[in-house]
Amino acid sequence: MDFFFQQLSNGLTVGGIYALIALGYTMVYGVMKLINFAHGELFALGAYIGYSLLVTMNLGGRLGPPMAIALTIIMVASLVALAGHLLERAAYRPLSHSDRLSAVVSALGASIFLQNAIMIKWGAQYRAYGADLLPNVIVNLFGQNVPLIRILVFLFAVVVMTALYAFIHRTKLGLAIRAAAIDQGAAKLMGVDVRRVIAVVFIIGPALGGLAGLLVGLYYGQINFIMGQLYGLKAFTAAIIGGIGNIPGAMIGGLLLGLIEALGAAYVSVAWKDALTFVVLILILVFRPTGLLPERVAEKL
Amino acid sequence: MSASNFQSSALGKLLTYLSILLFLSIPWLLSALGLESAPYWVDVLNNIGLYTMLALSLNLILGQAGMFHMGHAAFFAVGAYTTAILNLNHGWSIMATMPVAALAAGFVAAVLAGPIIHLRGDYLLIVTIGIVEIVRIALTNDIFGLTGGPSGLFGIARPSFFGFKLTKPHHFFYFIWFMVILSLILFNWLENSRFGRALKFIKEDAVAAENMGINTTFYKFLAFVVGAAWAGVAGTVFACRLRTVSPESFNFGESVVLFTIVILGGSGSQKGVLLGSFLVMGLPQILRDFQDKRFLIFGAALVVMMIFRPQGLIPPKPARFCLPEPWAERYGSKGD
Amino acid sequence: MSKKIFGFLMWAFIASWCLGATAFAADEIKIGLMAPVTGAWASEGQDMVRVVELLADEINTAGGIDGVQVSIIVGDDGGTPKEAALAAQKLVTSGVSAVVGTYGSSVTEASQDIYDEAGVVQVATGSTSIRLTAKGLKRFFRTCPRDDEQGRVLAARVEGLGFKKVAMVHDNTSYSKGLADEAKDIFEHSNVGVVFFDAITPGDRDFNASLTKIKETNPEVIVFTGYYPEAALLLRQKFDMKWNVPMIGGDATNNTALVEIAGKEAASGYYFISPPALSDMTTDSAKKFMKTYSDKYGSLPSSVWSVLAGDAFLVIVEAIKIVGPDSSRIASYLTNDLDFQGLSGQISFNEIGDRLGEVYRLYQVDAEGRFLLR
Repeated sequence: MDFFFQQLSNGLTVGGIYALIALGYTMVYGVMKLINFAHGELFALGAYIGYSLLVTMNLGGRLGPPMAIALTIIMVASLVALAGHLLERAAYRPLSHSDRLSAVVSALGASIFLQNAIMIKWGAQYRAYGADLLPNVIVNLFGQNVPLIRILVFLFAVVVMTALYAFIHRTKLGLAIRAAAIDQGAAKLMGVDVRRVIAVVFIIGPALGGLAGLLVGLYYGQINFIMGQLYGLKAFTAAIIGGIGNIPGAMIGGLLLGLIEALGAAYVSVAWKDALTFVVLILILVFRPTGLLPERVAEKL
Repeated sequence: MSASNFQSSALGKLLTYLSILLFLSIPWLLSALGLESAPYWVDVLNNIGLYTMLALSLNLILGQAGMFHMGHAAFFAVGAYTTAILNLNHGWSIMATMPVAALAAGFVAAVLAGPIIHLRGDYLLIVTIGIVEIVRIALTNDIFGLTGGPSGLFGIARPSFFGFKLTKPHHFFYFIWFMVILSLILFNWLENSRFGRALKFIKEDAVAAENMGINTTFYKFLAFVVGAAWAGVAGTVFACRLRTVSPESFNFGESVVLFTIVILGGSGSQKGVLLGSFLVMGLPQILRDFQDKRFLIFGAALVVMMIFRPQGLIPPKPARFCLPEPWAERYGSKGD
Repeated sequence: MSKKIFGFLMWAFIASWCLGATAFAADEIKIGLMAPVTGAWASEGQDMVRVVELLADEINTAGGIDGVQVSIIVGDDGGTPKEAALAAQKLVTSGVSAVVGTYGSSVTEASQDIYDEAGVVQVATGSTSIRLTAKGLKRFFRTCPRDDEQGRVLAARVEGLGFKKVAMVHDNTSYSKGLADEAKDIFEHSNVGVVFFDAITPGDRDFNASLTKIKETNPEVIVFTGYYPEAALLLRQKFDMKWNVPMIGGDATNNTALVEIAGKEAASGYYFISPPALSDMTTDSAKKFMKTYSDKYGSLPSSVWSVLAGDAFLVIVEAIKIVGPDSSRIASYLTNDLDFQGLSGQISFNEIGDRLGEVYRLYQVDAEGRFLLR
């Protein structure tokens, strides 16, 4: 039983990170019906910007860890949001009226471009954040020894998800986003500035992705230029499991995915855990073809 | 019914044949010009040919049936490993393994298609990505003790025809491009058959098609299986050309490449797919001199091409059917 | 309309290739370097290019080989067999007499026949799979040891350290799996018990689930045969779990970034076997080269593989110096006569092209994060 709870906590941490990235996917998808394949690369970009600030510029040494991390969070979120915005302008807006798959290929091209741009700017080597940025505190939680950082990672994901949910459901801009998500044309007719909505979505989504990248860098301490591919795919899977376009769905999908991985590794086989994840995904979709919490959107024919 | 392929005028036909002839003489021309790197460029064309075969088979599923399928490398892998296993463990000749490779890939597709065929758009997309990952992981973990694990299988025989063994790039050039022409003929025929017309209808409006009595599930299923089987054939070609198969040759990235070729070329158009293969497979080779920047440029080029040709480079021409005059006036010139 | 665009683009392409591929004069000795400059192994490939080009610069500044300049032609294999076949075609048609590389075994495999049929000497640098030399190709060599050699040394060291119960973890790459299989085979024929044998996924970052599972089997040591990024995370996450079981790895973990990622505390005590670490290269030429390298790039090469690429280049140059640029004479010289002091130690090859001699040492990371020879 001890073993099981340990694995549960392992799974929830990984799942929290997947959920954060999946939130970005789902936000963008909800409004634009676009699978932003470059989202994983924005996530990696966040990790690298964090690396530049914390390691190359040694903000931690200059300002002390708490200040440095706070400043880095702000910088990473805003810079990656900027990158996301530029990406939308350059690669997606010109295709907003064309076939959806054209935008997907444009996203794939942007993803190849960004991945190689990161490689050229920061090098192909693995980069180390260093192990001493965060204090290694172990907390006793329900009789389990759990590193504090893990709890923080998980709480961070939950807080972000809740804030996002409140934003979408309680603010006027959130209402506009929901309207645009259901029907862009009708929303326009009702006076919603759809362009602005898309811009906002493309700021929030990438910012969240970038923060997740920073978190991975801080928590695991090691980043490389192709990290976006793996995390991007996992997060996309998570968003689909939850029902893409749905914010709590992304959260549930992410956590579920983390759990499947951890329990799969624990009780089946480590080598087969990713395959198992996809088998579960397929099974879920066979029985619930639009994910666990599908967004109630009228199907466009 | 001239359909969407090559032009109908006599001159056009002549030009087409001349082009094909000229293209087929490239290996000879290149070496006649004394070009030292001729074998390399011929091999690049071989690669393009192989991916044209694959992309044409994906085009049936993605372009014509309109199913978002991003896992084609899985069926390619099944074909390649079938050939490798039959050749290495059972001593089959390469050409004899080809039909089996097609059957194996088609069989896997048929088994998988059942539960997933009804999934919509992006949900199908992630499931097919899942399939390609499952296949890759299974191959890596040496499933059934047949696939050789992460380092794969090696020492696959070269194909031979009437005692003539293919070894050099220009031998493979004729083999591969013969297969490409065969694929073009096959898929062109399929497109213009009852089956192709049904797919076109389903892609345009699935609900209307269903109401007209077309069994959409069946036709989609058929498209999926036939496309997968042909990818299996391409797998045979791949296996005997590189003589080694290993899991990393069939990853998610390969599926993305094929997906890109079809959409960039002009989903549903065979000429588009041909041109798409040239661009997607050829561009990184032309950009070799840029070394580590070549894929940076390639990615940017992909975005730019998509922006300037959102419908693909050569989108399919709308089909023309013989209709009474007033209808033809209204609908005949739609699109393009 | 579309027909014209189609025809035009198609022929424009073919024309541009022909123009792009013009032949040039041959008053230089061309040596190919096939390396993964892009793709998942780009960090190794780019290091390989740096090392080899720097060595070539040194030779050229010193007057080249008998007054003839050496030029390096890089072929990017992207870390995949398909690209490797094309890179190999590209290199054999650009008039090289010998080729250095490449890194991964299955990638090298896809290129072997092409070089062999073109009569080009290939000296691989990181491809440790046994079968590569078992084919009996006359012109294939490698400066890295084979899996079975390393597996044997790894198993011997684990036994030598007195461990009786091991958990084995690999990462399902052909190198890592090969090494793990070899070592496991030896353990099974001795009195060392293997209580865990499974593969993690390279590129994953969270191994807590795997570590928790391994801990259940209560091993005396974890043998990890993968690469340093994952090794570092295993060390770090094991440390965070407050589980201080020792860990031992192979030469792919011989990388200074290991300590940076894991942290000194977590890395301390970690064993690995490897050809001499960069800091332990004792010969003057090696020391001098390492200094030039770190002056130019700000750090040492991040792993031993790129140094082995440098060695592959040096033995080719040595052979050309003595027998000239003819590839069959280079091959016969390398097989029969070579006895060369390379960067990683003394180099000579046996009749199938494998490197002779024991190159492995046992290292342990100390509390300061230094790699100490045991």
